[in-house]
Amino acid sequence: MACRSSFAIVALAGLFVADAAAQDFLLKYPDIVGQWRRPAGIGIQWDQSKPVGPRQQAPLTPEYQARYDANLADQRAGGQGTDPLGKCIPPGMPRMMSVIFPMEIVVMPNTTYILTDYTDPRRIFTDGRAWPKEVEPTFTGYSIGKWIDEDGDGRYDVLEVETRGFKGPRTFEASGIELHDDGETVIKERISLDKTNKDILLDEITTIDNALTRPWTVTKKYQRERGNVVWHFNHCAENNHHVWIGRDNYMVSGDGYLMPVKKNQAPPDLRYFQSSQK
Amino acid sequence: MRGSIAAVTMTALLTMFSAGAQAHDESKYPDWSGQWRRPPGIANQFDTSKPPREGQKPPLTAEYQAIWEANLKDQAAGGQGTDPTYICIPDGMPRAMNVIFPMEIIVMPKTTYILIEYLSMLRRVYTDGRSFPEDFEPSFMGYSIGKWVDKDGDGRYDELEIETRLLKNPRAFDASGIPLHEDGKTVVKERIYQDKTDPNVLYDEITTIDSALAQPWVVTKKYVRELRPLIWFESICSESNQHVRIGKENYMVGADGLLMPAKKGQLPPDLRHFTESKGEATGATGEPKR
Repeated sequence: MACRSSFAIVALAGLFVADAAAQDFLLKYPDIVGQWRRPAGIGIQWDQSKPVGPRQQAPLTPEYQARYDANLADQRAGGQGTDPLGKCIPPGMPRMMSVIFPMEIVVMPNTTYILTDYTDPRRIFTDGRAWPKEVEPTFTGYSIGKWIDEDGDGRYDVLEVETRGFKGPRTFEASGIELHDDGETVIKERISLDKTNKDILLDEITTIDNALTRPWTVTKKYQRERGNVVWHFNHCAENNHHVWIGRDNYMVSGDGYLMPVKKNQAPPDLRYFQSSQK
Repeated sequence: MRGSIAAVTMTALLTMFSAGAQAHDESKYPDWSGQWRRPPGIANQFDTSKPPREGQKPPLTAEYQAIWEANLKDQAAGGQGTDPTYICIPDGMPRAMNVIFPMEIIVMPKTTYILIEYLSMLRRVYTDGRSFPEDFEPSFMGYSIGKWVDKDGDGRYDELEIETRLLKNPRAFDASGIPLHEDGKTVVKERIYQDKTDPNVLYDEITTIDSALAQPWVVTKKYVRELRPLIWFESICSESNQHVRIGKENYMVGADGLLMPAKKGQLPPDLRHFTESKGEATGATGEPKR
């Protein structure tokens, strides 16, 4: 019995020596790797607890509420309103955290990556860096994170993230709730596993933006895929039938012809074509 | 009793370490971290040892050589030929490894991720011992299975062998439109390894086997690690793309927001679906009639 015990201890020690760094890593960081999806029944709305559209009750300033209402009218008429995704502009932050298609989280000591199969990756730098003096604005923004051991058990359990440095146009969801044109959005997140279910990931997202009268906090919930994980590449431009000519949106029909998206929409101006000037 | 405790402890730890969790392991895998770029002076041609366009001399079959030459003529006339990326279709494999914008490689035990800052191209190279799936939807980046090799036997992997299949079209080797076969049965084999004397140089020996080629086309790409502070840019093709595709025709949108021809004498699009057509409604499907 003593011999078996020693063997087990030696084997265990060997395991530790061979992969000490990797095991130390696993002991230090939460197991949030893998594929995460929206829970069943959750659509593309920003606040998962409310239906998409006006019932989101976004805390918009009067100016941006008016823009939102005009956008809704345009969408009802067949337009895209202020939603830029019809042009295959990426959703950017914070909208990409609605996770239309599944996301993967890869944790490395200096960076946590959030990878999706339909938009650019997020790099959350956790190497202790300060904000750079100049940030080239992007749709995804520049993210700095900090791992926290909230319960003091020696293992990190919360990733706090702050994201700045944005460009537009960006909206919270497909109904066209806009973020401010100034790109000065600040997004604060707390990403953690559910304490009672390690297959549920929570992201508390607070958006501070000049289009809002106050910070807008929502908590997103994601479900870990435990079955056969499959990744599909979803590229917007591949089958996009929307066409923008100047500021006007048209569609290309299945038979390859340009067509209006709204009733009585005027066709594009063809003055640069010689044959149209006859 | 002690034996039982040890066994239980070991089982618990093994379970903890193998339950899907992955950790980077510097002791086993090469350091390919950071940002990798094309070396200075290297453009976007597929075989970087040869000049672009006709100078590539790809080993095409006679049929695909004719397709390529017709494409070069179309490009010379202002068209896009067989290069599909003008409408922001991703490069796909193997062209993605031309690395127009920088790439990052993340090595984890079960998967190596290759992130390319262009057209949202993400490659997952599975190194968990899996086989190719029997039924899987083709994609531009394909399905990649890799195997780590310890060539010099020093106990640390130094080469990643990759095979990529299940690719979809349209794809071309580079912007000159060198076509891959429309059957989509491309197989791409790669050997990625660091320079033995300079760890800041990475090579990718790429062998493309494709029905458009008379023989496998082998090229070796070189990448250099960025040693300055890293900056990652988003390169969003759709953001400022002036190309507009209507049916099979490519047009441009001018700075004034008006549609304009991409080629001399190009006819305007067919506007038959508009109630009050301002242009000529004369076209056939996807192609204006003369």
